[in-house]
Amino acid sequence: MILADIKQDFYLNFIKDDRYMWLVDGLKTTLIITFFAAILGVILGFIVAIIRSAHDKSGHFKILNAVCRVYLTVIRGTPTMIQLLIMNFVIFGAVSINKVIVGSLAFGINSGAYVAEIVRSGIMSIDQGQTEAGRSLGLNFSQTMRLIIIPQAFKNVLPALVNEFIVLIKETSIIGYIGMMDLTKGAMLIQSRTYNAFWPLLAAAVIYLVLVMFLTFLMNKLERRLRTNERK
Amino acid sequence: MSVNKDKVLIEVQGLKKAFGSNQVLNGITTDICQGEVVVVIGPSGSGKSTFLRSLNLLEVPTGGRILFEGTDITDPKVDINRHRQKIGMVFQQFNLFPHKTVKENIMLAPVTLKLMTKEEASKRADELLERVGLPEKADTYPDMLSGGQKQRIAIARALAMNPDVMLFDEPTSALDPEMVGEVLELMKELAESGMTMVVVTHEMGFAREVGTRVLFIDDGKIQEENTPEEFFSNPENQRLKDFLSKVL
Repeated sequence: MILADIKQDFYLNFIKDDRYMWLVDGLKTTLIITFFAAILGVILGFIVAIIRSAHDKSGHFKILNAVCRVYLTVIRGTPTMIQLLIMNFVIFGAVSINKVIVGSLAFGINSGAYVAEIVRSGIMSIDQGQTEAGRSLGLNFSQTMRLIIIPQAFKNVLPALVNEFIVLIKETSIIGYIGMMDLTKGAMLIQSRTYNAFWPLLAAAVIYLVLVMFLTFLMNKLERRLRTNERK
Repeated sequence: MSVNKDKVLIEVQGLKKAFGSNQVLNGITTDICQGEVVVVIGPSGSGKSTFLRSLNLLEVPTGGRILFEGTDITDPKVDINRHRQKIGMVFQQFNLFPHKTVKENIMLAPVTLKLMTKEEASKRADELLERVGLPEKADTYPDMLSGGQKQRIAIARALAMNPDVMLFDEPTSALDPEMVGEVLELMKELAESGMTMVVVTHEMGFAREVGTRVLFIDDGKIQEENTPEEFFSNPENQRLKDFLSKVL
């Protein structure tokens, strides 16, 4: 009986010895790492994007801009996996430190580089006249950025940012390599006990998929709200 | 509409501007007094917009000085943002903030710069919307307005800062013909209220009727300046004659 086999497999992989808890705990880690990495990535990304576009427009911040360019080149030019391993075994190799911090830093710094270029393209897409209007009213550079340019740029790049968050969620699946148990590692641990690859990996895949769909749903709602000022 | 010749608001001395090797302004010297409506005309590419945009340092001059109310604003040590608060500017493309409602557009700068409380700014915005004839548009977004309405809101936004002088950079050039009138009418009212104005425009009727002085700029220099009557009836400069024969 196929149905009985499925039942038996399901029991073995998830119910017996509370094995589903590996997935639950792993999911927690995935979410925590993604959350902190996303926050760090957005902060880093916006700072880098503002420095870069300010430099492109006005020629200020020469040194900072050079630092940003090195950051972008190195981070985008090397595999995330290598960056994660370097963070764990080289930078924090000699100190004992919570792996959540190591993972969040590695993925946050990585994501920041991509966010930076997304946000920069958003800032550059806003008409120069908006900056001039703000400055002509007496607003300084940062007030103009914060109140006029960034809100409009953010709306334009939201789909691309969501895409980056989706990539980030899935990319955290390599964190097992530094000994953390995330969703992927949890599934692999179940597999190592039950010698069954299909069920645990399928379960992990479905959970990732649901996460991504939920995120997409939230962002679509946000995007609709931000677009209220446009002609319908 | 009285010009106070004793009070010079903007003193332009030998203003030069080059974009790379392209010399756009070639030494412009003129005084703009309180209450004056100076209309700047000239062929496209003559440097008239660059001249106007230099007055609030949207274009940074490469030579010469601009004194605004006695302060040399081309001095890099000067806090240009403080002086810009007193120099209103209206753009050809309106440049309203599309993510803010009409009223928020007007209130943004005075509130951000802490010149008014939210309540004061809101009251001032209502007054200004009344003045430009669009009180019912307070809560709509700029994208839902016609070009003429946008420009009137842009003028209200600049006025919210209580500027001492208003700069207009071809304010009617992007408008459909039937909307030009409403904007020029508003500018005329503004001039009659005593506002000092510098207007770059192709509207010769406006120059003649509202201007107190007309400048003709070509090749980055003031080729001729005069009262509107003399300027249009007795042009002396050959280029001005050619220009007028084309546009009148």
